[in-house]
Amino acid sequence: MPLLGDEYTGAVRWPRLRQDVAIVTWPSFLVASVATMICFAFIDPVLVGNDDYPPPAFATRMSGYAIGFFFFWLISALSSLLTLYLARTARPEPPETEKPDDWTRSVP
Amino acid sequence: MTAADETQDGGLYAVRQKIYPREISGRFQRLRVIAVWVLLGIYYVLPWIPWGGRQAVLFDLPARKFHIFALTLWPQDFYFLTWLLVIAALSLFFFTALAGRLFCGYACPQTVWTETFLWMERLAEGSRSQQMKLAKSPWTREKILRKAAKQAMWIAFALWTGFTFVGYFTPITELAGKIAGFSTGPWETFWVLFYGGATYVNAGFMREQVCKYMCPYARFQSAMFDRDTLIITYDEKRGEPRGARKKGVDYKAKGLGECVDCTMCVQVCPTGIDIRKGLQYECIACAACIDACDEVMDKVGYPRGLIRYDTQHGLEGKRKRVIRPRTIVYASLLALLVTGFAVTLSGRDVVGVDVIRDRNALFRERADGRIENVYNVKLLNKDREAHEFRIRATGVEGLEVDYAGPTVYVGPGAVQSVPVRIRVPRGAVQGGADLIISVEAEGRPDLSASGKARFIAPTD
Repeated sequence: MPLLGDEYTGAVRWPRLRQDVAIVTWPSFLVASVATMICFAFIDPVLVGNDDYPPPAFATRMSGYAIGFFFFWLISALSSLLTLYLARTARPEPPETEKPDDWTRSVP
Repeated sequence: MTAADETQDGGLYAVRQKIYPREISGRFQRLRVIAVWVLLGIYYVLPWIPWGGRQAVLFDLPARKFHIFALTLWPQDFYFLTWLLVIAALSLFFFTALAGRLFCGYACPQTVWTETFLWMERLAEGSRSQQMKLAKSPWTREKILRKAAKQAMWIAFALWTGFTFVGYFTPITELAGKIAGFSTGPWETFWVLFYGGATYVNAGFMREQVCKYMCPYARFQSAMFDRDTLIITYDEKRGEPRGARKKGVDYKAKGLGECVDCTMCVQVCPTGIDIRKGLQYECIACAACIDACDEVMDKVGYPRGLIRYDTQHGLEGKRKRVIRPRTIVYASLLALLVTGFAVTLSGRDVVGVDVIRDRNALFRERADGRIENVYNVKLLNKDREAHEFRIRATGVEGLEVDYAGPTVYVGPGAVQSVPVRIRVPRGAVQGGADLIISVEAEGRPDLSASGKARFIAPTD
């Protein structure tokens, strides 16, 4: 197979911790961005919570958007972190059923 | 010589091994440079373009309005954005099926900004070998000066990028004035630094590692590949067995292939892989190895294309098929979505109305015996011109509509709240009834909208 490399050729690897930080923060950042867009398309932050309990929860729209974004980022990062933890602490698959970790390199 | 020579890089990335891609020119690199200029040109110039007294492209978050040239989008038009994202995703599928990771190599912001940061690095620290020598050298005056120059360029460029980004959300000329006078708001300051910092770290330090560890597309793009997808490949049949040779030697007689094993393709690779080992998911399809190899082939007098864009079928000597079920399905879906988007966008409602019942009282009994309900009618004029609107209501016999009329002025792209009192004769409504409140622009019967409202009355 000319298109399949036998070994890992990229000589540069990140240490485990840095990989973990990246794969927790980055996907949650993407999800938080989408969640912020959807949420604030339907909800106007200055109208949040000023009905029965004045003053409003957010002084300005910009602070509402920003705080909303970081809230979503935090929540989705926690979810990513738990997923990562579960994936990393699972008992490894028995060798005979283990898939090569570089399956994404293959071309169907 | 390997692409990734180990060096120690200070600070946050202390144990990082750095890749020094060799500078390369050639036809695909020219294309990539053009892509960088066009895309970054659009990014940096667009917010400065005026359009009828405002910024042409302004995502005015404080006012909850998106201006895109003549178009103004409201939160109610949110589904257009969703639609646009679906189109973008499908385009990615289509182009991936057609020619692999075109997006990664030519258009991805990560690649484009990394490219500019590499240029700045070369400007300050010189060529690949000079950079590697500098990294190994002790902290001499020259090293400090060169590193400082690089950092200064990087930081300035990153801050300008952050400033431009915020300029899409808050009028950029005002923002520039505020920055000049050190009077930016706390969130403006924060987002300029946040986005600038992200650019600096992503393009300056993380670079190809983002593609390797953080990009989901890099992992699932192979699902859109088939044996007719154009990919960057090394022609193993032609190249192997590889080996160095003297000029003019009959390599075939020595049992050698056409690869002279100069490792140029590895040295120019920004992700540090060896394309001769086959397609790897780290490959961002930048085609630097094609240009490098073509240059070498020209020098040694062999035909170009030992490394080239080709399909797996092409490599096997079979017929190449661009038009095939996969591309036909993607293309027709894409055409359908784009047409639908254009049609819906051009025919979207220009006037909107939102009826909210007054919450203070269910109803009021007037001295004349009639029952009155109060509503707050929000009139939304998405047109580019101002209009005078009339408000009407139907649903109950003998009702009367009372507002500060006869018409309500609503400016272009503005919202106007109008308190509206509706009165009906006593007994006309028992308990409750549904009303239709409609608005229509004076002299423009095509600009109209209506909303439902609940009328509450006592039961006799």
